[in-house]
Amino acid sequence: MMEWGLFVIELQNVTKKFGNHTAIQNVSLTVHQGEIHGLIGASGAGKSTMLRVMNLLEIPDSGSVYVGERELTTRSKRELREARKRIGMIFQHFNLVLNKTVEQNVAVSLQLAQVPKHQRIDRVRECLRFVGLEDQMDKYPAQLSGGQKQRVAIARALANEPEVLLCDEPTSSLDPHTTSEILTVIRDIHERLGVTVIIVSHEMNVIKSICQRVTVMDQGTIYETVQIESSGIPRSDRSPERFIKELKNDA
Amino acid sequence: MPDILLRYQAEIWQAIGETFIMVGVSILAAILVGLPVGTLLYLCRKGNLLENRFVFSSLNLLVNIIRSFPFLLLVVFLIPFTRLIMGTAIGTAAATVPLSIIAFAHYSRLVEQSLLEIPKGVIDAAVSMGASVKEVVFKFLLVESRSGLVVGLTMSTISFISYSTIMGVVGGGGVGDFAIRYGYQQFQTDLMLYVIVIMVILVQMIQFIGMTIARKIDKR
Ligand SMILES: Nc1ncnc2c1ncn2[C@@H]1O[C@H](COP(=O)(O)OP(=O)(O)OP(=O)(O)O)[C@@H](O)[C@H]1O
Ligand SMILES: [Mg+2]
Repeated sequence: MMEWGLFVIELQNVTKKFGNHTAIQNVSLTVHQGEIHGLIGASGAGKSTMLRVMNLLEIPDSGSVYVGERELTTRSKRELREARKRIGMIFQHFNLVLNKTVEQNVAVSLQLAQVPKHQRIDRVRECLRFVGLEDQMDKYPAQLSGGQKQRVAIARALANEPEVLLCDEPTSSLDPHTTSEILTVIRDIHERLGVTVIIVSHEMNVIKSICQRVTVMDQGTIYETVQIESSGIPRSDRSPERFIKELKNDA
Repeated sequence: MPDILLRYQAEIWQAIGETFIMVGVSILAAILVGLPVGTLLYLCRKGNLLENRFVFSSLNLLVNIIRSFPFLLLVVFLIPFTRLIMGTAIGTAAATVPLSIIAFAHYSRLVEQSLLEIPKGVIDAAVSMGASVKEVVFKFLLVESRSGLVVGLTMSTISFISYSTIMGVVGGGGVGDFAIRYGYQQFQTDLMLYVIVIMVILVQMIQFIGMTIARKIDKR
């Protein structure tokens, strides 16, 4: 087991409203260092809002957010921006800059962190190698598949060596095979880089395959947090032989 | 070359020069003032990074008022203001004042529209990477909207040419004024038609260049 004692992210009595509508109501949650933590629940349960509160993409109406030893909710804007550089985030729709090449998309996060230019290119290459896209540096996102776009987004999120990776439905617009590939990358990040991962999904398979603890949300509150044994990422064989075999078996 | 064009060669070149000055200054005003104002309109809008009802409503109202003025009336209305800052309200230089004002208002709307087309997720990504508002604008928003900004500037430029044609009322000169004075008022309809042809060719060229650039820089 890992050092469960330490926490990386802690929400204390956090409430977030949009107008009259309360998206999350008085939630408290501790995410341990080094775990893959899942958030699951029905549509509108407040999963994304809870995730987005963790890097203050949504500013809570009340309550506190701690990341590591730092309380984010009381920080100045500048300090908050610095803290965000240590928290990577990926999204369902990848959110790449379509007018930047793969390389530029990754490089911009280093630029924001004031990494000197001569160090950037090596780091960009390293991150793209990690996600298996080193040979696509000069392409634009429009020239890539969905899975490849998500890899670029992951490389971008990794560039500044984050301690935490927030994933909002990272596989929800991908097919099952590509989902497995992306989950493998996320698990690698967790295992090889020791990054704490929080993953929002409405797909039970995704959550079960890699999470160690899962928080179930319901109508803006935490229903329960359970510890699970991750079931492993389903292997997805895309060989033509396999298709034929499955077709015949089903017949 | 038709005789009549040769006869008025000097006047035509001068008129073209005046039009270039008026349109050129308008383009500058569009870029230097319209671009920031449009960006501010976007940023101050509800739900955006610098959400600010007061700034948004004020700018929005200002832009709307300028744009809803019939342009001829705006020119006349602005005469005291023009005189205040240029020392005179007459001539090509003075004509650039009302033109610049309509130019920034015109382009700022198009800038705002282009920025509104950017998916919100891109901004989420930028903010999550720790970008400041300034960095979001320069490293994300303007990059992502650049082809829309060029298309907008192209359309604005074509409007500025049209606006500049009435600046004869305050002695601004230009091609439109030439066509009125030498073509229309002196019953030289052929001269007027030639001038119109020149204008059409000019507009076509601008349209072609603008659209070509916009297509080239659009990687979406
Ligand atoms: N920016 C916003 N403005 C207004 N309401 C919002 C906003 N974001 C979320 N909400 C509302 O807050 C509630 C929770 O939204 P949230 O996106 O966190 O749900 P979710 O669990 O992620 O759902 P989904 O599975 O559909 O993504 C929903 O009712 C939603 O309509
Ligand atoms: Mg969601």
